[in-house]
Amino acid sequence: MKTTILLCIAVSLVYTALVIAGDQGFVKEGTRRSMTLPAAAISLKEGPGKDTTSSYCRICHSLDYITTQQKFPKARWQAEITKMIKTYGAPISEENARIIADYISAHYGTGG
Amino acid sequence: MKSKGFSRRDFIKTVGITTALAATGTVPPLLYASERRFVTFPEKTELLLLTSSPPQLETPLKYFRELITPNEALFVRWHLSNIPTSVDLATWRLVVHGNVDTPISLSFDDLKKFEKVGYTAVIQCAGNGRSFFEPPLFGGQWLNGAMGNVTWGGVRLRDVLKSAGIKTGSLEVVFKGLDKAALPATPGFQKSLQLDKALEDDIIIAYEMNGQELPLLNGFPVRLVVPGWYATYWVKSLSDIEVTDKPSESFWMKTAYRIPDDPCGCVEPGTAPKKTVPINRMTTRSLLINPEDGSRLKSGQPIELMGVAFSGGYGIREVLVSIDGGMDWRPARLGKDLGRYSWIQWFYPWQPAKSGTYQVMVRATNSIGESQPLDGLWNPSGYLLNTIERHNLIVT
Repeated sequence: MKTTILLCIAVSLVYTALVIAGDQGFVKEGTRRSMTLPAAAISLKEGPGKDTTSSYCRICHSLDYITTQQKFPKARWQAEITKMIKTYGAPISEENARIIADYISAHYGTGG
Repeated sequence: MKSKGFSRRDFIKTVGITTALAATGTVPPLLYASERRFVTFPEKTELLLLTSSPPQLETPLKYFRELITPNEALFVRWHLSNIPTSVDLATWRLVVHGNVDTPISLSFDDLKKFEKVGYTAVIQCAGNGRSFFEPPLFGGQWLNGAMGNVTWGGVRLRDVLKSAGIKTGSLEVVFKGLDKAALPATPGFQKSLQLDKALEDDIIIAYEMNGQELPLLNGFPVRLVVPGWYATYWVKSLSDIEVTDKPSESFWMKTAYRIPDDPCGCVEPGTAPKKTVPINRMTTRSLLINPEDGSRLKSGQPIELMGVAFSGGYGIREVLVSIDGGMDWRPARLGKDLGRYSWIQWFYPWQPAKSGTYQVMVRATNSIGESQPLDGLWNPSGYLLNTIERHNLIVT
């Protein structure tokens, strides 16, 4: 019994020495390094097209890629969405691309 | 401060500052910093959040008061959302293949058997300072915190390439990391160097930052270090090196990260360049770090202005400071010299005699005479920013 307890203590001490669990989601365990990234905490403003915009844009990036941009006219946002489709392969239909451009330029662009 | 329907342009109009001045960095930080919040990511201290996935985190200016940027404070910038969140050195390998005599696969221990070399070098994102461009641009809206000065340790890329044996007729070396795109249709991140560049003495595969292992967010276990060049080439979590006998057709070389093919890397604001080349060496920069723009000082009280200056691998010969908006320029004292790739600290003692607003400007020149432009430099991707900054210090 006593031996088992001592063994348990020894094992847990060794384990503690091996696993240096940093705060903020970093774990160093033997030869392995792992981390857990904080969840994206941004949500878009309410309005028509919000859900379409969220669901498609979030396939590849967090929504702060939209909200941290400067204010641009709709034509510039359309060009950006076209780049997402043509260059990066985003599966967005023409109709959804229109909805997204309308939504973003109204809420995060210059509107026109 | 920034609210719906109120753009930076409106702000500039409101306060009656010219667009030329806007490009210098005095106006936007107030706007953008107010929108930023601090976040704590794994192995990182509180940094300014630009985007969370792929992560882009910016270093607060206060860390640049030190000669060396701590690992936990160094900026973070990934391109693709599936970044490596777990790496086991027991199974990790770096492969060298393509136009070589013997393809090799190196474990972390194998890699460390090559001669260890190191130096201090500035790492800076190509788009550092993009938020100061006028007219504004799409892309990461960095202030000046996408940079840092780090002591790197690792092995020469050349030694690793030579151990695989480079075949004659080779043209380029292609570098890939462990990061992956969310969609198969998205071009995987990769960068290329011309073979002669790749064989330069100082290009290393780094496994140490300031004597420690790399944070996962900065590319654990190894990243490429191309000192003097922008960080886009410093491929993180490097895992694949391919020697090729033809030029890269990759999106990340042929379309992205390109600059106008002219001596300034710039064009008339709002216009498209006729011809572009891949971005490469960093421009010469100097920054005022302390006191920060907009600080209030007491007249008659002596203070010391300080900041940093660096260039794309040619050291810094001189830093000049003006406290009267560019009329009179005087040399600053330079701090400890850690070599041509490091930044150097500059110091300028000052005792403001009268109350008022003083416009402080700083200008660095490197050892081959490259300096900084007075007027806003502009290109369509928001790269190479090194316009002389204007900071207002208020003396009461």
